[in-house]
Amino acid sequence: MKLLRQTYLLLRKDLVLELRRRESLLTMFFFGTLLLFVFHFAFDLVPEKVTEMTPALLWLAFLFTGTLGLTQLFEAERTNHCLDALLLSPMDRGALFLAKTCFNIILMVAVEIVVVPLFWILFNLRSWEAVPLLLGVAFLGTIGFCVLGTLLSGVTLKARARELLLPLVLFPLMVPVILATIRCMEAILRNGNMGDALPWLRLLLGFDVIFVTVGILIFDWTIDV
Amino acid sequence: MPSGLALQLTARDLSKAYGLRWALRDLNLDLVPGECVALLGPNGAGKTTLLKLLAGLIYPTRGDIRLNGVQLSRSSTELRSTIGFLTPGEHLYENLTVRENLDFFTALYNKNHSLVAIARALEEVELTNWSQEYVSALSSGMKFRLSIAKWQLLEVGLLLLDEPYGVLDGSGINLLEAFLKSQCEKGNVVVIASHHIARVLQLCTRALILHLGKLTFDEPRRQPWDSFERAFADFLPHGGP
Amino acid sequence: MQATVPKNRKGYLGALALILVIVGLYWGLIHAPPDAYQGNAQRIMYLHIPSILTAYLSFFLVFVGSCLYLWKREKRDDILAHSAAEIGVLFTALTIVEGSIWGKPTWGVWWTWDARLTLTAILLLIFVGYLMLRSLIEEESRAASAAAILGIIGFLDIPLIHMSVYWWRTLHQPPSILRPDKAPWDNIHPAMLTALAINFVAFILLYFYLLSLRFRLGEMTEEIKTRRMDRGR
Repeated sequence: MKLLRQTYLLLRKDLVLELRRRESLLTMFFFGTLLLFVFHFAFDLVPEKVTEMTPALLWLAFLFTGTLGLTQLFEAERTNHCLDALLLSPMDRGALFLAKTCFNIILMVAVEIVVVPLFWILFNLRSWEAVPLLLGVAFLGTIGFCVLGTLLSGVTLKARARELLLPLVLFPLMVPVILATIRCMEAILRNGNMGDALPWLRLLLGFDVIFVTVGILIFDWTIDV
Repeated sequence: MPSGLALQLTARDLSKAYGLRWALRDLNLDLVPGECVALLGPNGAGKTTLLKLLAGLIYPTRGDIRLNGVQLSRSSTELRSTIGFLTPGEHLYENLTVRENLDFFTALYNKNHSLVAIARALEEVELTNWSQEYVSALSSGMKFRLSIAKWQLLEVGLLLLDEPYGVLDGSGINLLEAFLKSQCEKGNVVVIASHHIARVLQLCTRALILHLGKLTFDEPRRQPWDSFERAFADFLPHGGP
Repeated sequence: MQATVPKNRKGYLGALALILVIVGLYWGLIHAPPDAYQGNAQRIMYLHIPSILTAYLSFFLVFVGSCLYLWKREKRDDILAHSAAEIGVLFTALTIVEGSIWGKPTWGVWWTWDARLTLTAILLLIFVGYLMLRSLIEEESRAASAAAILGIIGFLDIPLIHMSVYWWRTLHQPPSILRPDKAPWDNIHPAMLTALAINFVAFILLYFYLLSLRFRLGEMTEEIKTRRMDRGR
């Protein structure tokens, strides 16, 4: 199908460019790690406090790191007016949306896979068996974040102060994802499984499905020369 | 030997405003296959705006553009595969190689992107030895030749050029003009916006002059061309191209 | 631009709104009996509930305007969305202040993170983000499209935000009118219900009056712009 083929082409191009320069990946990476240190100093994290604060701290770190990724999302298209080249072409705008969303998801997941174990090491947590499920929930939350983030990134491309504007409009809309992901993570750390947090999981999935669909449909109007 | 797409372009009451300023007003234009049109006028006359409207990069405030009767709008992704836009130095990814750029765009446009086709295109613009180099390593003249190779491979029916002559040396100019001639012979439409009047007029079959957003002159080329010289003299400090 | 709402009709609307607001205030603040548990502090509810409903109505209008604008690209729809957002900010901020005024005698604090107040605060943030987006994009039509997208996304997100915040916080009293097991009028003294109904209508009328004024302002601005552009022919 044309949409998937073009999405694949665009995503491959972004991944090739990223692997060559590694600008986004490295900055996001170090920023995520830096935040863990800042949290330690800011919250004076003693072992008793850490476990209950883990989901919130992790998700805060991911939110800020992800926002960093979002502001650089269309960087490759900025030089030589390459965005014009794409808009000029018979590219389905939905494909650009999917490709950029997937790209940001990949970057964030790469950071999460390293930051979560790092968190466990730095703060001497023992519950290693919870990590895979935790990463799974983080992945669902990341999808929601990247979907809305890409939509709004496209919308704010030509706005002044866009690095400040993007979080300002994005964060209030992220409330369901933030609440749902953290509640699920808490349940996992408490019980080892989802348990009573199932409704939250459903909410998260619903959010992801709704906004991926909406995104594909309306991305055409968000992106303009 | 027309083998191109036989595109006919019609623009009616085409107008574009930026904020409070009209960049283009009530423009009417008909382009037929095989034409090579020179788009002339002083800076700020609206040439780039017109080219971008024809390319479907921006949308008119009033009026519409039709290609073979089909309106060019937000949803016309199919029509877009028939339109090319060439500006020196643009629309190329600096951190991809020459070959990767061609590969990417030909795949995006769903055109033939076999190694053979790409190699042949690079040969025609004399960039074969640079195929594995990053675009950032190329000079502006070479980037332009790469752009020509790109549009050659993408097989469009309408080619719009914005100030192509600035970056080219002698051999580059010959390459460009040979390319454009072959496009017109295939039956494609070419529109060139340029300040290099002498060269452009030699190439073109028709001249348009834009002034303050309005089309003030539109005639097929003839020899001698007194009406053109009169119309154009209005813009030059001492008259004469 | 031809005025959508004629001037004299706006005048009648305004006068009616004013009368009803005065009647509603009297009924709510003086006539209706004080609440059994909360005393006179409860009276702020006569203003708080209608204004929160108007705030949500406002966002719905932003949504409608945004959808219409993306579909038809008519300037009027964009003016509707923009006006609804501006008046909406006003009513949302009002709701928060009223909620706070109620909170102080009832809970002893100016602010608490209960569901209703939090939701209203989030709504305010979304409205503010919408208006900031509009002001930070320079080209008019792009700003209008961008705002329309945000309006649609925001509106679709609100039910999800609602659900998530309510699940998270259940310490705000259950809405005393909308108890599922009893009919709305069984819980409340009839005079209180009347007061609420009057104020509700009053607020809606007031909202639409202000909206029509703001809308007309938008139309006139557009008219001035069109004339200035046509002059440069």
